[in-house]
Amino acid sequence: MTVVSRIARDEVRFLWRSRVAVLGIVLLVLLTLVAALTAYQRQHMIGIERAGYQAQANAAFDAQPNRHPHRMVHYGHFVFRPISPLAAFDPGIESFTGHTLFLEGHRQNTANFGDVRQSSMLVRFGQLTPAFVLQMLAPLLLIFLGYAMIARERERGTLKVLLAQGVGVRALILGKLLAIVLVEMLVFLPALVALLLIGTTGVGGLVAGYALWLAIWALVIVLVSASSRRSRDALLALFAIWAVSVILVPRIAPDVATDAVRLATRFETDIAIQRDLSAMGDSHNPNDPYFAEFKKTVLAKYGVTRVEDLPVNYKGVLGMEGERMTSALFDRYATHGFDAQERQNGIVGLFSAISPVVALRTLSMTLAGTDLISNRRFLEQAEHYRFNLIQSLNRMQAEKVAYKNDTNPNLENRIDRKNWQNYPSFTFVSEDRQATMKRVWPSLGVLALWLALLTALIVPVSRQLGRSAT
Amino acid sequence: MTLLKHELRLIVRSRLSVAALVLLLILSALSVWSGLAEVQRQRDTIGRVITANEQDVARLAKPYEKGGDAGDAAYYTFYTTWDAPSTLAFAALGQRDVAPYVLRIRALGLEAQLYEGETFNPELALPGRFDFAFVLIYLAPLFVVALLHDLVSSERESGRLRLLSAMPGSTRRLWVRRTGLRFGLLFAGLALPFLVGAVLSGAGIVGIGAVAVIVAAYLAFWFAVALWVATRAWTSVANATGLMGAWVILTLVLPTLANVVIARAIPVPQGVDLMLAQRQNVHAAWERPRAETMTKFFKSEPEWKDTPPIKLPFEWKWYFAFHQVGDESVAPQARSYQAGLTARQDWTARLGWLLPGVGAQYALHRLAETDLKAQLAYQDRIRAFHARVRRFYYPYLFEVRPFGSRDFAKRPRFEKAG
Repeated sequence: MTVVSRIARDEVRFLWRSRVAVLGIVLLVLLTLVAALTAYQRQHMIGIERAGYQAQANAAFDAQPNRHPHRMVHYGHFVFRPISPLAAFDPGIESFTGHTLFLEGHRQNTANFGDVRQSSMLVRFGQLTPAFVLQMLAPLLLIFLGYAMIARERERGTLKVLLAQGVGVRALILGKLLAIVLVEMLVFLPALVALLLIGTTGVGGLVAGYALWLAIWALVIVLVSASSRRSRDALLALFAIWAVSVILVPRIAPDVATDAVRLATRFETDIAIQRDLSAMGDSHNPNDPYFAEFKKTVLAKYGVTRVEDLPVNYKGVLGMEGERMTSALFDRYATHGFDAQERQNGIVGLFSAISPVVALRTLSMTLAGTDLISNRRFLEQAEHYRFNLIQSLNRMQAEKVAYKNDTNPNLENRIDRKNWQNYPSFTFVSEDRQATMKRVWPSLGVLALWLALLTALIVPVSRQLGRSAT
Repeated sequence: MTLLKHELRLIVRSRLSVAALVLLLILSALSVWSGLAEVQRQRDTIGRVITANEQDVARLAKPYEKGGDAGDAAYYTFYTTWDAPSTLAFAALGQRDVAPYVLRIRALGLEAQLYEGETFNPELALPGRFDFAFVLIYLAPLFVVALLHDLVSSERESGRLRLLSAMPGSTRRLWVRRTGLRFGLLFAGLALPFLVGAVLSGAGIVGIGAVAVIVAAYLAFWFAVALWVATRAWTSVANATGLMGAWVILTLVLPTLANVVIARAIPVPQGVDLMLAQRQNVHAAWERPRAETMTKFFKSEPEWKDTPPIKLPFEWKWYFAFHQVGDESVAPQARSYQAGLTARQDWTARLGWLLPGVGAQYALHRLAETDLKAQLAYQDRIRAFHARVRRFYYPYLFEVRPFGSRDFAKRPRFEKAG
């Protein structure tokens, strides 16, 4: 063990003496700090802005004057997706999804004003956040620092000397590994501090995930350095591995997934829903079989023969039935669409067999609450809220507006605004920790598997290194 | 010529160079192929939604055979608008994966419809598409590094450099030849697949030429950097490290930093504000005296000034009038929102003069008409079309003319060329 630590100490001392290495580390640490500060400030500002808008929308809703309840159905409500605290670490899809959702009767709108549509193509270069630095840049710095660790010893002939002195090949590899892990800790430190400062649930998982990720790179670098004849070969090979796994694969995987599972455009979904709806029945047509049957059921329920004799306003009852039918279709199509998107993500997930960064990204976004599924939760909760709000307004129409008045075109039939003022406002409920952790285990497992496989490679690589040195 | 052939033989003998060139050719071809496939899918989708909407309108028009209320027809009839991909869109897919290129609108307030989004998987959009622009901007410089980092140093390290400089003839010409050959090969590896794709998609000669210039200029920048580094008396390893460092800073670090700065310097909250204000103004009309709304409306549509006043609590002409007035009330906000977005795009263009990757990306997406400006131009076309749709119904509403199946056929169409 002392041999291992002595080798590690020598390597660290070597790096310390190299001005370029120190400069590289300092630059990366500074960049992480800048990234953490800007991302935190951005997250904070967005949080304030959206909370402000939500309060404004809630106030506007309550401030509506006495009205016919159906006017409120069309006035609708706005909800704003709250931003998760860990979006300051990894904003994930935060900029790629809309955050402003208009809820109204009969329609399901999209969440709008996502950053990606409000930015130039510059946003596609990536976003400067601690996650970006750790996922993309940190491995590259480690490559710069470590590619020559063993190849250098071989090139200069010091490898033979070391082995002749009785240093085991495996001890050499482990020592170099230890050195690079020490550097990694230094590189990871600012991001770690940032995470602990944000300090919500999920931080532990993030630390574990990124630690595995950096450890994987330490192994890759040492293994490639040990099996390259010249340090330049090691450098080029590591660059190639980095470019393919961090830059290329994450871009190709979505294309494959898009090809495999197509999503219907919103336009087509809208038309399909409209078609299904008119196949079920047309509430405007007095002879429509579905609504004739519905009317019969309602009349029978109250034991009357004419809608005029109903104790409730039939127009409101009809509105509730219509909303129930459309919302059921919205739910069906939305679920279908979300499931298709999750299938796409499943296909992308398969690429983690080629590149562990795919698993790391999933893990990072999931724990940060900035992944597809947490956005789905928001949209589903908002739809649920929309449905209940609209139905309660329809019920007001059924119970507070008389049918006789409601069918008179000369009356406005306003009801007291107190009726909707007490309606509870929307609050987003985020996923409970255990459910999130459950979704993270597979990614964590993939990363651990990568680490285990690479660790197993130490044995054959050190054997080969020992053979070639003597 | 024989000298050039000789140099070519040298490159062919180097496994690294051959592998790099073949790989670049494959990646470039793949990206072009995948871009073409995506553009074709978008065209198919546009064709499909046009037909689907026609059928939808036909279904809607059926009860109007004997004539009906124009207000109902205007309320329920949706119109198709689309933004067809340009012939160069395959090379730079841009924002088309996150912004709708087909949008259904109707005669109601446009500002509530214009910013609707598209269904897309944000996790797939996040890393960006694998298109020609990506291969050029991100990957091509890496190939330049692979081929040029040891241009001089490999000769020095193998001890041939002195020999080369002692040879008769200008050594300068030798390096020009070597560099030129590498430039030609890399350019061909990138541009040939693009050329095939552009011809297949029917791009014009000017567009193809412009993209070729962008490719050549971007490659030239990286060649200049690589040559500057290569002519230092550094080792191959130091060269490779330095070049990779430059690449990381120019394509990963500085653009993301710039994005933070631009997003912060030009905030665009007007979008949300205008949406909230528009809805507020539209719905306030129910509380406002009908005549007040109509006076405002007649200011922009004086043609209908002398039509009978509104008598009932609900009349369609008043309903559509307050929707138009609602849109007009937020017109300044809509303009300033658009101005903010345009400013963001313009600052990116200016930045392109400093960061070649950003410059190439900006120029390619501008040419391909897949950037933010193209998205705004599509919105402008929708605005113009929406005005036609509104005005199509006004004579029926204000002159109280019945609306029949034949009137459905007369409804305005979004231009094919649009």
